This record gives sequence, C-alpha cells and structure tokens, in this order.
Amino acid sequence: MKFWTSVSIVVVAVLAALVVPALADLDQRLVDLDLVLQPPSWQHLFGTDALGRDVLLRCVYGMRVSLLVGLAAGVCSSLIGTAAGALAGTWGGRVDQLVCRVIDGTSAVPQLLLGILLVALFRPSVTAVVVAVALTHWMVTARIVRVEVMSLRARPFVDAAISGGASRSWVLARHFLPNVFPHAALATTLMVPHAIWHESALSFLGLGLPPHLASLGTMMDDGRRALFSGAWWVSLAPGLFILIPTLAVSGLAGVLRDRVEHRRRSAELAW
Amino acid sequence: MVKSSLRVRGMSVRFKVPNGSVAAASDVSLDLGEGEVLALVGESGCGKSVVASGLLGLLPGNARVSGAAVLRGPEGEVELLGASQQELSTKVRGRRIGLVPQSAATHLHPVRTIRAQLAETISELGAELDVARAAARAHFPADHLDRYPHQLSGGLAQRAAIALALAGSAWLVLADEPTTGLDRALVHEIVDEFRRIADQGHAVLMVTHDLAAAERVADRVAVMYAGRIVEDSPAKAFYGGPAHPYARGLLNALPEREFRPIPGVPPQLSELPAGCAFQPRCVLATDLCTQLPEPTGEDHIVACHHAHA
Amino acid sequence: MLEARGVVAGYQRSSPVVRGVDLALEPGRALGLLGPSGCGKSTLARVMSLLHSPYQGSVTVDGKLANGFRFRAPRGLRTRIGVAFQQPRLAVDPRLRLIDVIAEPLRATGQSALVERRVPELVERTGLTEDLLRRRPHQVSDGQLQRACLGRMLVLRPAYLICDEVTAMLDASTAAFLVGAIEEYRQDTGAAVLAISHDPVLLGRWCEQVLDFPGLNARADTG
Repeated sequence: MKFWTSVSIVVVAVLAALVVPALADLDQRLVDLDLVLQPPSWQHLFGTDALGRDVLLRCVYGMRVSLLVGLAAGVCSSLIGTAAGALAGTWGGRVDQLVCRVIDGTSAVPQLLLGILLVALFRPSVTAVVVAVALTHWMVTARIVRVEVMSLRARPFVDAAISGGASRSWVLARHFLPNVFPHAALATTLMVPHAIWHESALSFLGLGLPPHLASLGTMMDDGRRALFSGAWWVSLAPGLFILIPTLAVSGLAGVLRDRVEHRRRSAELAW
Repeated sequence: MVKSSLRVRGMSVRFKVPNGSVAAASDVSLDLGEGEVLALVGESGCGKSVVASGLLGLLPGNARVSGAAVLRGPEGEVELLGASQQELSTKVRGRRIGLVPQSAATHLHPVRTIRAQLAETISELGAELDVARAAARAHFPADHLDRYPHQLSGGLAQRAAIALALAGSAWLVLADEPTTGLDRALVHEIVDEFRRIADQGHAVLMVTHDLAAAERVADRVAVMYAGRIVEDSPAKAFYGGPAHPYARGLLNALPEREFRPIPGVPPQLSELPAGCAFQPRCVLATDLCTQLPEPTGEDHIVACHHAHA
Repeated sequence: MLEARGVVAGYQRSSPVVRGVDLALEPGRALGLLGPSGCGKSTLARVMSLLHSPYQGSVTVDGKLANGFRFRAPRGLRTRIGVAFQQPRLAVDPRLRLIDVIAEPLRATGQSALVERRVPELVERTGLTEDLLRRRPHQVSDGQLQRACLGRMLVLRPAYLICDEVTAMLDASTAAFLVGAIEEYRQDTGAAVLAISHDPVLLGRWCEQVLDFPGLNARADTG
C-alpha cells in the first residue's frame, strides 16, 4: 500500500515534469499584468503570481528543475560517499583514520553554511547547486558504506578469497561493492528529498538557481513577498510541490529499506 | 490428573516460493509422553527444524501447515497447528513449550545480564519463581547471573538459554540443534541436563544432527529424510541396528563406526522424486520403491519396502 | 613443508591465544590439531594460512618466508594453501552461485580459461550436481554449501590444506563424505592436511598424527 502510493506519486510527479511543459498551451514565462495575483480559479487552479504567471504551471516547471537537481545531487553524493566509505573500510588503518577525520570535519560545519560558501564561489547555476548539495551530503553514505565494508571484511568468505589469491581491488569490486550496493542505493533514495530541500533552501535565500529558472525554492521566495498582499496561494503551491513528492520518495526509501533488511535476514535463514 | 503428552499426526509444511513449492515436511507423526526425550535426527536441510518451528507457530508467512499436533496436560488441551498466534503467545510459548535455540550466544540479549533476562521472562510469564531458582533449574551457576552473554562460555550460554526455556515451567522443551559447535564434554553436559529435566516429568524434543549426542540421552529416535520420518524407534533398538537403510547409512558414517558416507546427495525439497525419496541413493532399491512406503510397526515404526533386509 | 616458528598471535596483544607455537606440516601428511573451542587453534590455523598477522614468529611455505599476511602475503604463497571453515554459510558470498564460488580463485588469479576444465572435475569430487551449481547459497543446505567450499579449496590444487572444524556443523554422512574427499585429494596429489577439531574420535580416524593444541601452547609457555 505504502509502496504503491509512493510509486504512483513519484511516477505522476516525474511524468508531469516531463510531459506538461511539452503539452501546455500556456507559457510559464508569460507575463500578464492584467492577471496579477489572481486567487485560485478554474482557469488558474493555484492562482497567479505577482507577474500574472500561472502558479500551477510554474510549479510543474519548478518541480522539473528540483527533481533534476535532487536526483543529480543525490547520485553524486552517494558516489562520493560510497567511494570514501569503501576506501576507508577496505584499506583501514591510516586511510580509514584520514577519511573519518574528513567526514567528521565536514559534518561539523553546518550544511547550509557550507552550501552557501560553495555556491558563492561559483556563479548561480544548476551545476553549482548540485556540487554544493553533493559536497555537503556525502558523509551519511560514507559512514554507512564504511561500516558495512568493515563488517564484511571480517567474514570468512573474504578470508577464502584472499587465500584463493584475490587482490584487494578484486575483493573490493567483487565482494564489497556488490554487497553494499543495496545500502548505497537506499542512501541515495533517502538523499533525493534532502537534496530537493537543500536546493529549495539555497534558492529561497537567493543563492541557488538564477532567477529565470523557476525552481520551487525561488518560487517560495517570490511567494513570500506576495504573502504581504494576502496572496497565500503563491507560497502554498510550491510548498505542496516540495512536500508531497519528497514524502513519496521517503516512503519509497522506507519500503526499500525494509526489503533490504528482509533479504539480509532471509539470506541468513535456512531450514 | 491428566497426563501430559504431545501427539503429532500427519503434519505437513509447504513453503510457497516464486516457482513452485517446497515440501519441507510431509506427513510427520510423533508421540511424546512424560519423562521422554525424543531425538529428531537427520542431515541439514531435511526439514527437522521446520517441524520444531511449526509446533511453535514460528514459520515465515509463506508456509502452509496442515495436520494436527495436540498438546494435552493439566492446563487443558490445545491443537498447536490450528491455534491462533494470540493463543500461542499467551498460553503456549514459554508456558507449555519452552524453546532452546541453536547457538544460544546469539539468541541472548547482548547488552543485558542473564539475571535481567531471566527476571523479565519470569515476570512476563507471570511465573511464581525467583531468579535464583530459575537458574538452578538449568544448573546455571548463581555467581554468573550478573554477567553479560559475551562473558559466558558456549556451554554456560546454552545453560542460560535452557533456564529461560524452563522459566515458565513449560512441560515440553523444544531444543533446536542445542549442541552445535560445542565440544564433546560440553555436549555431554548439556544433553545430561535434558535427561535430568525429563526425569522430573517433562518431555524433551531434541532436533539434532549429532547422533552421538542423541545416543547419550534419547529414549526414542526419529530419523527424518527429505521431510518425512523414515524410522521412529526406541533408542536402544535404533543404535543396536536401525531398520531403514538411510538410518543405517547415517550411523555407519560416524567416525566411531565405519566412517563411510551414504553415496549421492539428498534431493531438493522442491523437486522430490516419486515414491521413496531415498531410493536414488539406496543400494536396496527395487521397482517397488517407486511407490511411497507406508510407515508400519507399533513401537518400531519404519517406512521402507525393504526394512531389516 | 609449511612451517610456523615461534608464533605468538591473538586479538589482544596483552593476552595472545597462541603463545610461541612451533608447528610443521610435511607434504603428504595428515596432521590433526585437537583442542577445545576458544583455545587458539583456529588462530594458529589462520596464521599458517597467511590470513592473520602474528605478533611474533614466522611462517615459511616450501622454505620461502612469508614476509606479509592477508593481502600483503605473496600471491604465490597464499595459493599454495587451501582453506575451509566451520560455517559454510558465512564462508561464501551470499550473492554468488555455487559455480562462481568454486571458480572464484581461478578468476581472481587470472586463470578464467581453466574454469571450463577444472570446475567439472570438482563437481564429481565434491558430489555436487550441475543443478546445484547454478543455485545460490540460500537455496541449498549447509552440507551442500560446504561441498562447494571444498571445491573452492581444491580448485587451485594447493599443496597444503587447512581445514578448521569443517565438519562441526554437518550430519555424519556429509562429514564422512567431506573427509573422504579431502583424503582422496591428499592421496592423489601428495598434499598435506592440517585438520583442526575438538573431536578426538574424528581426528583419530582421519589423521596419522594428532597433536594436542593446549599442550603445544603450554610447552611454548614453559620453554
């Protein structure tokens, strides 16, 4: 139930983000100053913003950017995290200590602060946001992967592989990485909503995407100004568009986690 | 007063798997009375642990159980295979059937002392018993009660597990491979404990692959092959000379005896051959063996067309 | 000859479980090492199979000194020694089919070409079937899994076999089969076997000579 609800929401969100911009007969950038801050109506389900643009259509465009950034940042952070965790877990000793200090050090700085710093170094762009989010979110994956690899390292099947002449990189590629993959994949799924929120937060602060790119964060920033003139819908719509898909992705991750755990247990159970 | 007993008749367990079904136990019948130790022996994967889990209602969701297992006693009568989880957890598990698990060290709670675990079990079961007496029942040394599981040797961890199983004064003790990985001396110590428990009027069903341990303690031995009981006989008769060719092969494989394996490998429980499942490995097999042999005999039950040959 | 000299090893430097043991395994011999669980015999076995670095002492394989352990041990020395463990379920990667478990040492040493020839030979020796080879660990029993571990131990044709409680989890018939298969390999190739167990009856039946591990340790303590 939870699984299918989550899946259908995610599918609808992705489809909407892909298909609607191609089919819509309204231009999201269409500025119509006659229609400034219209409340929700049948023509404009979520009303219009301060420049008379359709809020719903802009939200769909915004979600497109947010999903793209979230997915890219989630994958990038998992790749960095998996590499760092596997490196630390496989080599141990000094390498492990070094990686752990980097993890601790990075985690000690508030993520948003570090994100702001990173974005400030580049010009506002999708790449800058992805890099900023990835570089501030890889530590959780790194920790998970490191611990998993360390527990695998003590297993007799690794001993058997070493005795069979396997090199360190062989064991890493053939045993460690495939066995931590479900955990890393899970961490990635959990990271996507994080990344979306983080992107929204950066954009809300005006540090994320350039203003012409509608992202859910920049839209909420616009909405904040409109709030003073009583136009609640300009903020509500992007809020819902952030909340619902990210909850769905989290739900999906929860189901996946249960499956990973279950598979692990049933692999140990034999009759 | 009603005498306690366990009577299992025609118990079958099927696991539904993506491409077919696994016949983990078929038509299993067993009897256990007061003071008896029954050893259920067989190789790993023959389905003997499934029988034990089935009696406690602890099988995974894809299992289908049929047949009957009636537990009688002063507390009343209960049919285990049809009982609801509610009934099993409030009336049966821990209270009438205690489980001694395989590898007790991993079964115990790692960050709580033995005393805390015993006390919790006793209060949860509402048993009128203090921790010291509960420990004494399994001869668990009182001065080790405040230790954590990792501070115990394998033998003492197993004793702690037995004390937990007995805390609710369960009449039937179900022991699933209780001696795996223990040294011979410890194995003797643990099975002797089962003997003492049985001598107090309890019954013990010991699932094991260790024939030497079973010989030391069991009153009866039931041999399981590919999900079926092929021989069920008094222990003396069994160790004197088993009637089923598989049981004979198993005994002869012991290092104390001929140390000779049975040729071939056991069949997959998902694709059992027609007729006698042991027939492809059996030297005595004839055309007759393509038909399933019925278990016959009163006290010494054998399911083989060529028993005693 | 596989020889351990003055090996001090364990998991805590302050209280090693192996305390200065000398042990030599001569080609063609079956040597038993007897001792209760937790006495350190498995640790010695891991040191001799170059899988555990000792605090002191040395291991030589055919006269060549092992100048490192685990990944740092020269591959040529590591693969001279085959190992098998007590719990087959922990000794195989749960993702691999049995055939890949057996073939792994060949592939890991760049001899994939030999898989086609060597693996079928071992199918007979281990008593597995073609069908079982294509299964994954959770689809087979402990006994069948241990047979696959036997295949993996033998696939590189090692000169020394170190078997740590390989039959402890298994029924009598599978245990007898495994010991028989190891002995057959020893007879065929003149390999040496170090069998470790807590069961004196088993070792007495299996080995030409049985050493008491606590005795070895005690002798090292006083000497």
